[in-house]
Amino acid sequence: MGIASLSALDETQVAAVRAEHPGAFGGIGHQIRRWAPWAIALVYVIGSLWYFEIWKLADASERVWDLLRNFVVWRDMADWQYANIYKGIAQTLAMAFLGTLMGTIGALFVGFLAARNVMRIPLLRHVVRRFLDILRGVDQLVWGLVFVRAVGLGPLAGVLAIFVSDLGTLSKLYSEAIENIDRKQVEGIRSTGAGPLAIIRYGYIPQVLPVFISQSLYFLESNTRSATILGIVGAGGIGMIIIERFRASLYDQVAFVVLNVLVLIFAIDWLSKRIRLWLIGVRHD
Amino acid sequence: MLKLEKLTRKFGENIAVGNATIEIPDGQMVGIIGRSGAGKSTLLRLLNRLIDPSEGQILFGDTDIAQLSGKELRAWRSDCAMIFQQFNLVGRLDVITNVLTGRLHTIPTWRSMAQVFTPRERAFAIQALDRLGMAHTALQKAETLSGGQQQRVAIARALAQEPKILLADEPIASLDPMNAKIVMDALRDINKQDGITVICNLHTLDTARQYCDRIIGMQDGRIVFDGTPDLLTTAMAREIYGAEAHEAFNEAATSTSIPAAQPVRELA
Repeated sequence: MGIASLSALDETQVAAVRAEHPGAFGGIGHQIRRWAPWAIALVYVIGSLWYFEIWKLADASERVWDLLRNFVVWRDMADWQYANIYKGIAQTLAMAFLGTLMGTIGALFVGFLAARNVMRIPLLRHVVRRFLDILRGVDQLVWGLVFVRAVGLGPLAGVLAIFVSDLGTLSKLYSEAIENIDRKQVEGIRSTGAGPLAIIRYGYIPQVLPVFISQSLYFLESNTRSATILGIVGAGGIGMIIIERFRASLYDQVAFVVLNVLVLIFAIDWLSKRIRLWLIGVRHD
Repeated sequence: MLKLEKLTRKFGENIAVGNATIEIPDGQMVGIIGRSGAGKSTLLRLLNRLIDPSEGQILFGDTDIAQLSGKELRAWRSDCAMIFQQFNLVGRLDVITNVLTGRLHTIPTWRSMAQVFTPRERAFAIQALDRLGMAHTALQKAETLSGGQQQRVAIARALAQEPKILLADEPIASLDPMNAKIVMDALRDINKQDGITVICNLHTLDTARQYCDRIIGMQDGRIVFDGTPDLLTTAMAREIYGAEAHEAFNEAATSTSIPAAQPVRELA
């Protein structure tokens, strides 16, 4: 039998081949396995959107345009209380800086307690690690709410929230950096008869310091962003000003503040990148 | 006098050093030879107590080093300086600070934490570096130096400890012949001039023969030879090195004999 053309195949021939090689044609089970995931995903997305009342988006469109217009049309710029705004921005920066600094100093100690190659007592190390998990597991925003309740509205609550959540995260990152160091250098210091603190100071710190500094700089950057959000729950800073003016429907002022915050974040981004590069450069002189 | 009494170290089932009994008088230069994994490094680390012994005694005078802990242990480590195959300097610290870490045992905690060293300590460190011809690198980061230079800085750090014993764990195994010779000459000089006992793990036989007063051969954690270099016959050496004999007798890369000046002794 030669190779016939496709059009020459008739139904009986197709049926004959199908009877001989059923696997090559894909049964009903195969079809279901192939299409079911798509069908399930589609049903899930549509169902969820329906549950979340997607049609409200269409109703809102008029208000959205209103809002957008108010963002870009700036009115009565003379009485925007700029002093208040820039004080808020400065406060946010101060909160982020102080919180990160305290978190860094705390993590400098706690990080060593959580590092396997420094803390030789497994029980204590595990207790420290689980404690850090708790600090990290609760979101910064939740810590903000907790501290607003504890110390009242204002920047102190924000500083504490940043400190606590950074302590958890930085300690974990630091302890991992410590676990990755070169053992030989530590052994060299140990062989001189140095005490435990001196071993950490001379064997570990020089190796991990650049990593520590670069991680803390990144956190300063990230905390400046999150300090804005913390203000919205009442923990001081620019976020408080944003939420006040938002509630008063002063959208043009909100837009102005947000632009200022963006400039601040770009500035910190740039500065911390420069500091990081400078540090790395020093290391390879 | 350093005296090992049935010193044993096990790692699980594996005996790294078994029943080592040796006496080493003050001021001797001892070479420990053997193939890789024979227990040379473990023996040296036991002496400095970077590893704890499983059984047996290490007597220095009347003190059992194997029993020391805490402050006394650190005092012993300070007396018993060590240099390593990979130098073990702190790469990001400058050379003089690396040498000054040899003083950490003696200085109070607050000073070591704040990195405050007295002018006297700094001068001492520079002198130690100068003796090794490395004073000009004092302010460089240790990681910027070549291997041979790093090993000389490591020896300066050991000298800064004012040790009674100097342990050297394969000090020249990572060095080229020229630097290997400089390092071995320095160790020999320290041994002769300062009367410091030097115990040195060596992979190559000709280096041990050339520099040491006494050779100890190890095989599978046991001491199988102990005597002056001339007592070490070729047959004995072959026995110690086993399958690695060819490498140990001829390996120019880690040998201190520079072929042009001094042909490798033909033992093979």
